[in-house]
Amino acid sequence: MSRMAGRVGRSEGPWPWLAAGSVALSLLLLLALLTLLAVRGLGHFWPAPLALVTLEDGQRLAGRAVHEESVPGGEARERLYFTGNRDLAGDIWTWVPVAEIASRAFPEELVVLERRRWGAFLGRLVALEGEAGRREGQAAWPALQARLAELEALRGERDRLREAVVTPLVRRLERGPDAAAEAELARANARIRELQADMAGDTLVLESVDGRRLTQPLEEVLRALRPNAMSPVDKLATWGREVWRFLSEGPRAANSAGGVWPAIFGTVLMVLLMSVVVTPFGVLAGIYLNEVAHQGRFTHLVRIAVRNLAGVPSIVYGVFGLGVFVYGIGGTLDEWFFAESLPSPTFGTGGLLWASLTLALLTLPVVIVATEEGLARVPDHQREGALALGATRVEMLTRVVLPMTAPAMLTGMILAVARAAGEVAPLMLVGVAKLAPQVPVDGDFPYLHLDRKFMHLGYHIYDLAFHGGDVQAAMPLVYATALLLVLVILVLNLTAIFLRHHLRARHGALPRH
Amino acid sequence: MIDPLPPRPDPGRQRWRHGRDRLATLLISAGGVGVVAAVLAIGVFLAVEVVPLFLESRHGIDWRGLWLPQSVEGHALPQHRWQPEPLAPGEPAHYGMAPLAWGTLKAACWALLFAVPLALGAAIHSALYMPRRLRARLKPTLELMEAMPGVVIGFVAGLVLAPYVERHLAGALALPVILPAGILLAGGLRTTLPARLRRRLAPGWAGIWLMPWLAALAALVLWGSPWLEEALFAGDLRGWLEATLGLDYAARNAMIVGIAMGFAVIPGIYALAEDALSGVPGSLGEGAQALGATRWQTLCRVVLPAASPGIFSAVMIGAGRAVGETMIVLMASGNTALMTLNPLEGLRSMSATIAIELPEAAAGGTHYRLLILAALALFAFTFLVNTLAELVRTRLRHRYRRLEGTA
Repeated sequence: MSRMAGRVGRSEGPWPWLAAGSVALSLLLLLALLTLLAVRGLGHFWPAPLALVTLEDGQRLAGRAVHEESVPGGEARERLYFTGNRDLAGDIWTWVPVAEIASRAFPEELVVLERRRWGAFLGRLVALEGEAGRREGQAAWPALQARLAELEALRGERDRLREAVVTPLVRRLERGPDAAAEAELARANARIRELQADMAGDTLVLESVDGRRLTQPLEEVLRALRPNAMSPVDKLATWGREVWRFLSEGPRAANSAGGVWPAIFGTVLMVLLMSVVVTPFGVLAGIYLNEVAHQGRFTHLVRIAVRNLAGVPSIVYGVFGLGVFVYGIGGTLDEWFFAESLPSPTFGTGGLLWASLTLALLTLPVVIVATEEGLARVPDHQREGALALGATRVEMLTRVVLPMTAPAMLTGMILAVARAAGEVAPLMLVGVAKLAPQVPVDGDFPYLHLDRKFMHLGYHIYDLAFHGGDVQAAMPLVYATALLLVLVILVLNLTAIFLRHHLRARHGALPRH
Repeated sequence: MIDPLPPRPDPGRQRWRHGRDRLATLLISAGGVGVVAAVLAIGVFLAVEVVPLFLESRHGIDWRGLWLPQSVEGHALPQHRWQPEPLAPGEPAHYGMAPLAWGTLKAACWALLFAVPLALGAAIHSALYMPRRLRARLKPTLELMEAMPGVVIGFVAGLVLAPYVERHLAGALALPVILPAGILLAGGLRTTLPARLRRRLAPGWAGIWLMPWLAALAALVLWGSPWLEEALFAGDLRGWLEATLGLDYAARNAMIVGIAMGFAVIPGIYALAEDALSGVPGSLGEGAQALGATRWQTLCRVVLPAASPGIFSAVMIGAGRAVGETMIVLMASGNTALMTLNPLEGLRSMSATIAIELPEAAAGGTHYRLLILAALALFAFTFLVNTLAELVRTRLRHRYRRLEGTA
């Protein structure tokens, strides 16, 4: 058809332009979606300037401008500020009519504190009180920075102790009395108490911009920033640190703050388990359908059926997983092996294993179809040549045909993984959890807990966006999570596309018949 | 370096090789049959789980009761009502599947209404006008669009697009008129440009250079939405809609679902339609052009009729995907089980209902089995539609081959 490509004559009328416009519109939609996710998702971690806003009536507030919209039914516009200070103000958002703003300033001394309770504090730092005495004014900020770094180190040591020493010891003691372990545990606990004591003791004196004072125990403070005083390089460094925290930390404050590490881990683990199941079986079925089965009408029908299963809605697979895996097989396993813990189910409820199996079933057609396509691409004379040289069928398959098909199988597997990583609907039925801070792999026998529920990036998006308390506060995190998920899937798909392209190029060079 | 007389193979080794071959073939067959059976078992499982619903009297369900309006306390006329958990203890539950089926079809129709023109237009443009190099880039890009997870599209539609459209309703409703007009305007303006610039803006690349123009136009319309509303509807479009057309407005409505789900099905329809169009043997189109037809006339009279089964199957597959899509509907539709024609009200689809309610439904109960019935309906529908599409496509491929053979 492209031989006809050339110039649109004037006589062709408006339709060719509308057709071209639909290409532009589709691409534009895709571009808009990606840009929105990228800008909002990455922008959230940038330390935005803090404005000190003075209103006409003399009221003052400090906050980060979030967005602006016009008041319904009028010309007036309102701006939403994130003002934090839940403990002082009761709400962390403030709507300000733009017309009433008398002045805006960006004073350097405004601080943002991220706290374990009550969320963020926005205001001024008055003093740091501690064992080393009271430091005020200019000296307070460097002292606070230094002390926070110390606290971070202490916290790290405590968490390591808890994880590496205390938890295994407790598990050992659960199995039976053990004097050595008890002594060791007592020592570790004493050290933890020491660390806790080191952390406590300091307090911050804070002042909000409307003049209210607040004393804040320092151990509750996680981070302190003065965004208005930062240079672009500092901001970039902070941005990088925040992105890393988002990727490596667990969620806090009912999922509305912190990171998504357990969700990343859960998604990856589930997808890995799934590909371990789906690849061999899919490849086996593909080989059977293409190389072993009698190529009659029945095989043709089976092939169409398998192909069409790729189009069956994912939620139907979820229903199948719930009915067969969870209630059927899981319930039976519970009766046979975990009868002592009934009625609370072990495998008779959604979990990692059932989720991976359901998704394996869901992606099986993808792998089968890709394998079959790869096999069909191998020219028949290659097979005939191998057989003529005396190879048995299995030798022909393993030595000649399968090596040539390997990239196709890999493509199928990658596409399956990409599809599985983005599927959420079936997981809602077979084992995803809103919050599961314990990842399903730990040092406790049998190390990999297939019966546990797990967190998933896609479900995390749904849950944050639709079941969280304060959607406005969760939105930046939703954007960031969505961006992460989309990036993972795009990279997987691009790899598959690249592989397929490479494959075509390679097989294009082979003589056909 | 071939030995003219290869050594005679050792008979024991030979037997071992053949034994191994037979065993491996057997294993592959067993595995293959097992996998295929497991995959096909889905339909069997759903059917088996649904049967007791109609056989056991304790469920008290009959086929007509599910689909016809039932009497509801407090209403004079029978109502369609999906209310599986009674509002208060003692009240009856209502199992009317009709609103769910309606919601599913309504969402799918709006999605197709949005997606089919765009996808077919894109397919026609890329098959007929685009240079080969650009087409080779466009295809993977749209494949990436297909890979966008439903949950992300649903989130953007439900939490970003829906409130935005609510605030810029006049502009959003004007876009379907203004954008095509803008495209035609761009086409018209191009002819008045100096020849050098015109060559730069080749029609084959129009899919690319129209993008900034359309983006600017859309931004302008949405930005001017308040003025538009002021000028045409005295500043209250929603009031006007309600008073004049009797349409209620919900932020998460069928239109939003249609746009979001349309976005998700465009690439699928595009890929199949493009395959069908560019698969039409070139000799047909060349013949028509040689007789003096323009490219668009060739398309309408020759290529489209030849490719129509393929385009039909592309739309079918898009419909199958739209009917079964869960997360987008769940997040963008408001999930209200209504039966109205109004595109500006919410809806509740079968797939979203399953996702929301099945984890809470007691296994084996009436509610559970009804949800499985819904799943069976989705399964049967998509399976049939896809099989039909596949058969049509196979037949089409044969036809092309025949046409090419005789040409």
